[in-house]
Amino acid sequence: MSSVKIPGLKRACGRAIAAAGIFVAASSLAHAAAAPAGDLLVTAAKPDRLFIIDAAARSVRAEYRVPGAEGGISTIVISPDQRTAYTLVDRMERIVGVDLASGREVFRADLSTPGERVKDFFALAITPDGKELVAYELPTLLKPSEYVVEEPRFAVFRTTAGLEAKPVRSFPAPRRIHMLLARPNGRSFYALGFDLYEYDLKSGKLLGTRGIQQWQIPEHAQPDLLAFWPVTEPTGIFTSPIYTEVKAGAESTPTTAMMSLDLKTGDLSYFDFEPLSALIFSTILSPDRKHAYGVYTTLTSVDMAGHRLAKRVPLDHTFYDVNVSSDGREIYIAGTNCDVGFYDAGSLEKKAILRLPGCGDQALSTLRVIHGR
Amino acid sequence: MSELKPTNRKAELLLDAVAEGHVPEVLAMETVAGCATTFDPGWEVDPFGGVASLCQPMEADLYGCSDPCWWPAQVPDTMNTYPNWDAGKPSAPADWRDLDAVYPKK
Repeated sequence: MSSVKIPGLKRACGRAIAAAGIFVAASSLAHAAAAPAGDLLVTAAKPDRLFIIDAAARSVRAEYRVPGAEGGISTIVISPDQRTAYTLVDRMERIVGVDLASGREVFRADLSTPGERVKDFFALAITPDGKELVAYELPTLLKPSEYVVEEPRFAVFRTTAGLEAKPVRSFPAPRRIHMLLARPNGRSFYALGFDLYEYDLKSGKLLGTRGIQQWQIPEHAQPDLLAFWPVTEPTGIFTSPIYTEVKAGAESTPTTAMMSLDLKTGDLSYFDFEPLSALIFSTILSPDRKHAYGVYTTLTSVDMAGHRLAKRVPLDHTFYDVNVSSDGREIYIAGTNCDVGFYDAGSLEKKAILRLPGCGDQALSTLRVIHGR
Repeated sequence: MSELKPTNRKAELLLDAVAEGHVPEVLAMETVAGCATTFDPGWEVDPFGGVASLCQPMEADLYGCSDPCWWPAQVPDTMNTYPNWDAGKPSAPADWRDLDAVYPKK
């Protein structure tokens, strides 16, 4: 038996499958300060594993098998009390909650029912009180001779519903949603798709729509973004690269912009920061909000005040996910293959690579940070 | 539509729908019968017209694309029809040789 200590978590019991990652230190930065004690990373890898990583020790603290996740784990949402990870599994048809201290399955919602197949395309959020999960459902009726496309909907589950959770309410949703973000006011949530929608959590009433694809920025073409990773820690601000073309006279220049959405205030802002020169899949905002860090095949630092590219370095391979330490000094990158990278937030130099046990692909799984207290 | 030519019977039905004024009955589907949640060109070219800015190496991107059925023309539909295509092959860089072609069930 082994125990897993989660910051802020009093109880800690259970059984970890393994805790032995392969740690590769970058010798050129052996002197660099490690991540602050208490930062834990949560990621997942094929076929069905959820990992808890001690960032400072560069080691896997726990490895859990998630029931029904044989096809891999995509979205990971951490409960506000940091005790539970809610994972989207089974080819986007099941939500499983895993107790982070023990690995025990504490919640399960099978979205599909006999005759109706339901997919949740990445979009999952938990309310700030931790009592409800909101999922985005794309239902299809499977009739003997035809499939009937039904209207998409939001489904709300109680997190205390156990292993046979059913939605306590549902309401209509727009198509093409790929991310949900709960607002800290506890009354509404955002749904990101072609545009940014806000819904009342209780009634399901559409409170407002703001343009993303339909943005109205002079001389800027219709933008495009890829936002699958609902990561807003540690600032409560979601950021994402967004791609457009900026027209100047007869010429138009492909341009990378930054989108910021403050979940607390609702402020939505954009700024251009470079002519398109490198792709970025996802970004994270530093705790002091001065920089955003983005990943793809390069690691990028964006000066948020100066609206400019601050620094860019090549990576060993493409990574999808990025997150940041609670003190802002270290960047974590993950997704795609089986390695998690640790980079200096100032110099963008590689400090360490941790290969996950079993070396399964992380693919599109979310990289979360449980920040130390 | 004059630029597009149907390549199968279902596409021909779409042309018939246009001719008969039934286009509103043709629904844009999302995550339904097959594996086509998105419609992107694939791994052929990047936004700059080359390949240098595609995911590197391609194996880093393979499961990230096949899991949500990003490019159905190039990998089997793991979301609905062939969910076990990658079973026992958790690492695309190590296991790509074992990712086989699939054939319709008779």
